[in-house]
Amino acid sequence: MMANKKEQFIKTLDEHKKIIYKIVNSYCQNKEDRKDLEQEIIIQLWKSFDKYDSNYKYSTWMYRIALNVAISFYRKEKKWSVKNDFYNEESIFKIEEDTSEEQTELNYHLKLLQEFIHNLNELNKALMLLYLEEKSYEEISEVLGISKTNVATKISRIKLKLKKEFQNI
Amino acid sequence: MEARELNKILAAYDTKLDKKLSLNVASFKSINLDKSEKRTQSILKYRIIEIVVFSLLALFMGNYIASNWTQPHLAISGIIVGVFTLIALAGSIGQVTLLKQIDFAKPIVDIRKKIELVNTHGLLFVKLMFLSTPIWWAYVVVASDSLFNIDLYANMDVDFVLKYLMVNALLIIPLVWFLYKLTYKNLHITWVRKTIGLFVGTKTMKALEFLKDIKEFES
Repeated sequence: MMANKKEQFIKTLDEHKKIIYKIVNSYCQNKEDRKDLEQEIIIQLWKSFDKYDSNYKYSTWMYRIALNVAISFYRKEKKWSVKNDFYNEESIFKIEEDTSEEQTELNYHLKLLQEFIHNLNELNKALMLLYLEEKSYEEISEVLGISKTNVATKISRIKLKLKKEFQNI
Repeated sequence: MEARELNKILAAYDTKLDKKLSLNVASFKSINLDKSEKRTQSILKYRIIEIVVFSLLALFMGNYIASNWTQPHLAISGIIVGVFTLIALAGSIGQVTLLKQIDFAKPIVDIRKKIELVNTHGLLFVKLMFLSTPIWWAYVVVASDSLFNIDLYANMDVDFVLKYLMVNALLIIPLVWFLYKLTYKNLHITWVRKTIGLFVGTKTMKALEFLKDIKEFES
């Protein structure tokens, strides 16, 4: 029974691995921190796996847990590395390197975006991630626990900030 | 960068992750999934110890007040110490309740508030310490009577005691105002920030600052 549960968990984790990967990379710049945070998120997801509330989408539930753990981790550790080794992961989530010109350009833009996200505070970082994932205002409001109106106001502010930040690119 | 371009980049990133990102099952299996949350457990343990200690103290004070009911100065001192004990007990019970409500599957703002309120517990004791200053004599009277069987009041000059009580009573109003101000909501006021910073550790200060951020985020 436990083996079945674990298999089910691995399957779910595999389906939603991008969520964890993106959150971990947004909250940690250091490779070792990222590995620790990945583990902490997975442990917390496992512990809450039986308590999943089907009233919410699985992704909403996962975002809540992963972001809550990431914020706690960020506030607890904060071991920032100056070097951003964003794409050299060797942990639970493996990513193949691609050095094509197209990918190099994509990586450059992503790095800029990542730096922009890194400079936001913990809560705005969570909001930004959800916004970039094109989540609905309702889902963002469910994950964060603020009203939809507040979500809309904050997103319009973030959009302005983004536009200002990237206007010269 | 326009929204359209940003979406294009993110879509390309998503495509890349779809193709290149994989779950390392071997690495996953090496994780101890049942690892306990040591920090939360340790905070919970300390708060439970506090509840036991304050409960015993509250019981002792109840007994002390009942035993000295016929001697007003001892009974009043006992009531004062008892009230402070009950406030501290309520604070610790509140902390255990908060700790029990922490569920990472709940909305972020709600959970963060609970976690940071747990981390600001030290401020309650700072406030109780300040609030105790005009009535510190109550602790001394109760302690000397209970531990050494010495009634300090009986050996004091009545005029001095009355003047002392009046001065301290006058201190209570500004003190209550002062304590009312000592909250994360007033961290933008320099003296509030400095006073709190002087008496609490970095962890409590960081938690208070984050509570302020949460309040701003909610508004």
